[in-house]
Amino acid sequence: MTSDLVIEIDNITKRFAGHTAVRELSLSVPRGAVYGLLGPNGAGKTTSIRMMMNITVPDAGRIQLFGLPASGRDLSHRIGYLPEERGLYRKMQVLDLLVFLAEAKGVPRRDAKRLTQEWLEQLGLSEWTRKRVNDLSKGMQQKVQFISTVLHDPELLILDEPFSGFDPVNTQLMKDVVVRLARRGTTVLFSTHIMEQAEKLCDSVCIIARGRKVVDGKTADVKRRHGGRHVILSVEDGRPVVQRILADRALVAKADDYGQYAEVELHPGADPQQILTELVRNDVRVSRFEIAEPTLNKIFIDLVGPDAVTARAEEDQGNA
Amino acid sequence: MRKIWVVMRREFVEKVRNKWFIISTVLGPVLMASFIVLPILLAEKGASERRIAVLDVGSDGFAGRLVEWLQPPVPIDAELQVVELGRLESVADSLTTAVGEKALDGYLIVSEEAVDDGRIEYRGSNVSSPADMRILERVMREAVLVERLSRVGVDPALVSQAQIPMRLRTVSIRGGRVTDESGESAFLLAYAVWFVLYISILLYGVQVMGSVVEEKTSRIIEVLVSSLRPFQLLAGKVVGVGAVGLFQLTIWGVSAWLLFQRRDMVLGWLGVNTAGGQEFQFPEVSLVTLGIVLVYFLLGYFLYAAMFAAVAAMSNSEAEARQAQAPVVMLLILPTILMLGILQQPDGNLAVSLSLIPFCSPIAMPVRWAAAPVPVSELALSIGILVATLWLVVWVAARIYRVGILMYGKRPTPRELVRWIRTA
Repeated sequence: MTSDLVIEIDNITKRFAGHTAVRELSLSVPRGAVYGLLGPNGAGKTTSIRMMMNITVPDAGRIQLFGLPASGRDLSHRIGYLPEERGLYRKMQVLDLLVFLAEAKGVPRRDAKRLTQEWLEQLGLSEWTRKRVNDLSKGMQQKVQFISTVLHDPELLILDEPFSGFDPVNTQLMKDVVVRLARRGTTVLFSTHIMEQAEKLCDSVCIIARGRKVVDGKTADVKRRHGGRHVILSVEDGRPVVQRILADRALVAKADDYGQYAEVELHPGADPQQILTELVRNDVRVSRFEIAEPTLNKIFIDLVGPDAVTARAEEDQGNA
Repeated sequence: MRKIWVVMRREFVEKVRNKWFIISTVLGPVLMASFIVLPILLAEKGASERRIAVLDVGSDGFAGRLVEWLQPPVPIDAELQVVELGRLESVADSLTTAVGEKALDGYLIVSEEAVDDGRIEYRGSNVSSPADMRILERVMREAVLVERLSRVGVDPALVSQAQIPMRLRTVSIRGGRVTDESGESAFLLAYAVWFVLYISILLYGVQVMGSVVEEKTSRIIEVLVSSLRPFQLLAGKVVGVGAVGLFQLTIWGVSAWLLFQRRDMVLGWLGVNTAGGQEFQFPEVSLVTLGIVLVYFLLGYFLYAAMFAAVAAMSNSEAEARQAQAPVVMLLILPTILMLGILQQPDGNLAVSLSLIPFCSPIAMPVRWAAAPVPVSELALSIGILVATLWLVVWVAARIYRVGILMYGKRPTPRELVRWIRTA
């Protein structure tokens, strides 16, 4: 049973000098999942990831990777880790650098060379193997950085804010590679503060704020549990009827009326069907009626309040 | 262990491939060659023939005999001119013009006071050359002495016998036996040992610092620490740079030795005539001395490299690291300032204490050893203290390093530093 969990975090807490960065956090990532660790800046994402990689040690709690007692660093040959702050040796040749980074993870030199060549070719950098990192464009350096993460065909990818700092072309490219690897069975955990991305990519999510877990589970489950209360409505005529319905406090908790289009949040206990029935009964021509899934962003704001979203970057301070 | 090796190899290969390494490695022997060639060149230039006039102003024939003294191999071409006292000024004026036109290097005025009072005047363009003046003075002192003695009737043969100079030969005794080393070459060796140790510990220590700062400022450290333990990273780096140091020192050492072995050939290429050059004795370096220098280089290098690494880990940029390194460099400079004290009295209190104080001993002890014999017990004590200190410093430095490499922002206060060491 446990061997099916690639990452198992049990009640970890990490305190820094002034504050607690992560508080009693538990989560588990099953094999093959694409798992999003979500939260605003300063929520404790990077701290949690660093503890998974054994770069910092939790003050309390336990972390287990692949169901083994070894630490993340010792398992680095099975993990592709892309830190939030990234960099390369600027004076090294691309090939040497990638081979070194792979060897540092424990990949034998011969394999490292072969894999490097393959990846450079695949991402269109084969002409640059003998160039210094400094001579590469920013976009190419980002590709090199990404290659160093996936080169050794890891079973687990841990990507900390992978889509920030990369240009749009590389973001797309990386996303494609990540999706391809995930399809082949690689487990992916990534952190982001951009909920829309997570929504598109993740089958499971964990939302944290101020070091605490707010909600976690399969993306669909999370949405179902916290959603189903939104209706997007558009009519061709019969505005007065619509306005009357929107004003009905027994039915509608909150409405955002744009004139031609309205976003409706239902009153708890109300059935969306009631609105539709009312409209049809009044002979209103409906052009759009959609029971919308809430965005993760909306769920997040609903759960932790807008304060947490704009919380100060405590996490960064903690590491500084 | 394999990971340490991987880090070490990268450090070594990248450093050795660096153009500065290649330039400095080649430049070293060139510099050493110039150390050998330049003095000889200078000596040769100093010994080049000077044309002077000797004015006999009523010296009773002494000026004539003086000119005979100024014959080869003395590198002076002297021409006698007898001048009456009344015409001295005008002759001197025309000779001065000749010196100005470089037709002549200078002229001697030998009057009747020359022998009795020992007063002779030389006017020339080369009076600031110590080599020229030394030759002139030596010849004249001898000439005046012989003249005085022969005037009172001493046999010239006796005089020349009395002139044979005495030479003190100094031979160093080490470990209860006579060696081939002269006192001078022991001094020279001590000086060379100091130079090599000071420069290399500083040079390679600072390279470790640069390497740590580079990893921090480029943020690659974030990637590295996910697969390498800080200790593996630090150990690989320090050993790697140390290997670069040993490699470079070996190249320099071997080329210096070859240069000395073949110095006639090298000088020949440069068109320098070696026959006139003074005899230069290359100090004999025994294997034991070499071994002691090596041991202290390694211990000293590790000690300072660890401190430099800790300094770098605390800093956010090259500039900041350069500032913060000052106290470390001071420690290294201390024995240098007190070098002369060590050399003058290699078993004096100062030398003995410096060779036991761990931060000074890597330089002080080998210098002492090269200058004079050192009891084995003192050597053992010095190494023992140094090793213990090294262990402690590495322990502290590794802890500072571990925390520091992931810290950005302001530099830690001493109190924070203590917390890093305690909690790491």
